[in-house]
Amino acid sequence: MKSIDKIAVLTITLVFMLIADVPILLEQLVPEAHAIFGVRRRAARRGVIVGYSMGEAAATSAAANQAATQKQAAAPAPASPPPAATGKPLPLGTVVTALPAGCTSTPVGGVEYYYCGGNFYRAVFQGNSLVYVTAQPK
Amino acid sequence: MSKFNFRLSTVLFALGVLVLAATVSTEVRAQTPAVDPAATQILKRMTDYLGGLQKFSVHTQNTLEDELDSGHRIDIDVSASVIVSRPNKLSAERKGDLIDQIFYYNGKTLTLYNPSDKVYATEPAPGKIEEMLDFARESLGLTVPVADLVYSNAFPLLMQEVTLAVVVGKAVIGGVKCDHLLFSRPGVDFQVWVADGGQPLPYKYVVTDTGTPARLSITTVMSDWNVKPSVPDTRFTFVPPQGVKQIAFMPL
Repeated sequence: MKSIDKIAVLTITLVFMLIADVPILLEQLVPEAHAIFGVRRRAARRGVIVGYSMGEAAATSAAANQAATQKQAAAPAPASPPPAATGKPLPLGTVVTALPAGCTSTPVGGVEYYYCGGNFYRAVFQGNSLVYVTAQPK
Repeated sequence: MSKFNFRLSTVLFALGVLVLAATVSTEVRAQTPAVDPAATQILKRMTDYLGGLQKFSVHTQNTLEDELDSGHRIDIDVSASVIVSRPNKLSAERKGDLIDQIFYYNGKTLTLYNPSDKVYATEPAPGKIEEMLDFARESLGLTVPVADLVYSNAFPLLMQEVTLAVVVGKAVIGGVKCDHLLFSRPGVDFQVWVADGGQPLPYKYVVTDTGTPARLSITTVMSDWNVKPSVPDTRFTFVPPQGVKQIAFMPL
């Protein structure tokens, strides 16, 4: 009975000591572990302004998306033809990153319009990106 | 009686150890604060120095890591040259595989010009760089390279929500000995390399998106710092070359 008590108390003590010590050991060995390995990950919003290269990030990000789109468009056997090829007029204000093939350009009232597939397009800057938007020439 | 005494002393000893362990644990945590003032001081010295420059020009090489839908990782590279002349002039030229663009601001108007597409757009702009940058971002969705370097409140902007700041060590970037700093905030880690002697200029900057499993980074390496560039004012005003067409900005 006496020895069982001793063992029980010592074991409990040891367990408590370990529980108390493990975090200390971790903190000492890798003080930045939590931050470096992203334990505090939370939902991220890309484009948060964190510094001077973040502005650059947003711009290049747009370019990257475009790159990815172009690369995927270049892949063999696209699943569906581009919308303009159907010949159906798109709703006004539809934005495309590149003109469909075979557009003819016409200046109307000092603005250059591109006509193809039953749509008129106009070049505009959407942020830093040059895009084409369907429009009604005036 | 002696049995009781023995048990009591053991329990007291155990309690004592626990109390000691708890105290040591608190002390260790207090001794290693997550935000090291040595790191924030270097960052502040850098932003103060940049904020006090009347003029500067710098070349930046930006690498944006991207992931294709196929799962492969690729880099998108963009070179930029920036000239800032406070309080109201800025020009920035970006060149890369997917971008060929020059930005002009002369205190009255801002212009975006794509030489290879032969198009440009011009808008009236506020009279000071910082307000112009706000206007460009908020009203036109435009970003200007190294824009945040220009803000006089760059330091509080950078320090927002920072949960960790450490001096990682020393490094040499483009032949310049630098202090390597790491900062962390929810969703974003950023590293800055600041020259450790003379002018405290930044030479490298890495922003890592820690909110997604891909953990993609944007790396900016800066070179050719000139804090006394001689540039004529005409450099900041766009004169459309022959055959270049004016287009519009899409309002946000």
